[in-house]
Amino acid sequence: MNVKFLNPFLEAAYEVLLAEASVRTVRGQISLSKEPYVTEDVTVMLSLVGAVEGTVFYSLNSPLALTLIGNMLGEKLTTITSLAQSGLAELGNVITGRASVKLAQSGYESQISPPTLLLGRGSTLSTLDMPRLVVALNSDDGPMVVHLAIREGRNMLAKAADIAVPASPRFG
Amino acid sequence: MNVQFLNPFLEAANEVLKAEIGVEVTRGEISLQRSALTANEVTVLLSMVGQLQGVVLYGMSKATACMLVSKMMGEPITELDSLAQSGVAELGNVLTGRATIKLSEIGLQTDISPPTVIIGAGITVSTLDFPRLVVPIRFEDQTMEAHLALRLAEANGHQSHVPLVRELGARA
Repeated sequence: MNVKFLNPFLEAAYEVLLAEASVRTVRGQISLSKEPYVTEDVTVMLSLVGAVEGTVFYSLNSPLALTLIGNMLGEKLTTITSLAQSGLAELGNVITGRASVKLAQSGYESQISPPTLLLGRGSTLSTLDMPRLVVALNSDDGPMVVHLAIREGRNMLAKAADIAVPASPRFG
Repeated sequence: MNVQFLNPFLEAANEVLKAEIGVEVTRGEISLQRSALTANEVTVLLSMVGQLQGVVLYGMSKATACMLVSKMMGEPITELDSLAQSGVAELGNVLTGRATIKLSEIGLQTDISPPTVIIGAGITVSTLDFPRLVVPIRFEDQTMEAHLALRLAEANGHQSHVPLVRELGARA
């Protein structure tokens, strides 16, 4: 796991939470974990494939999830409805998409998968041989914890032929 | 969700389980599910990006997972330790990888993410607006459920191909 991949995600998460949900977060300690992750109330999970590959998940407790969605929708929610679920997944999608744009700017182009949402605490989730960088973004309603289990894509060179060639400039 | 995506997975499951585990597989009744899925004891999750995108899940009981790993390793496994987990994940990886090769043969270029293993029944896994095609894959007295939540990427989505030989050839 390479720490240089971390900042794009933290920046993106901070920016998106502030812009979309008006929640200001403060970054906590970074740690490296080889242990499986035990799920929180809500986990949004996405994968990256390309020059950076692996899995990223965002875990949060229900109160923070409800605050985020409540702020996004402009109404107070008390349960994580299906609308709220898709809102949370979308949040993960936007954060990761933004991070992937930042990564692409530094030369690591990757595609992100659609999000998957895990609801319920106490299951374990293992990224196997990929250790996770874990960083909490603390808010008044508890932390959103960013877990990054990503690495430089192994097939970066093998896939060189597939790298997109920019479309020819359009004239007129 | 298009059923044409299904056969590559079934063929891959058949071939991989025959080669790695030495079992003949049959498939059970196919169903389409829109609701979130309640995780089995062991779930292997992989994401797919490219012309076909989404999530593939393989759910099974602990007993089935142990049986698969025991046969792969040639020694009895009764506990799902990290080695066994990586064995099950690898099986999901090989199976999905093989399916992507078959998908590419029908003209769908896709890439898969590294696998994630979810242990512990009861949490809810939601693929949101992706309905899941669920196929029970049976072998001996065990069942593994394959969940395909896939759809074609939008034509204007990420496309990393240059219209070269094939299109030109087709026009000629």
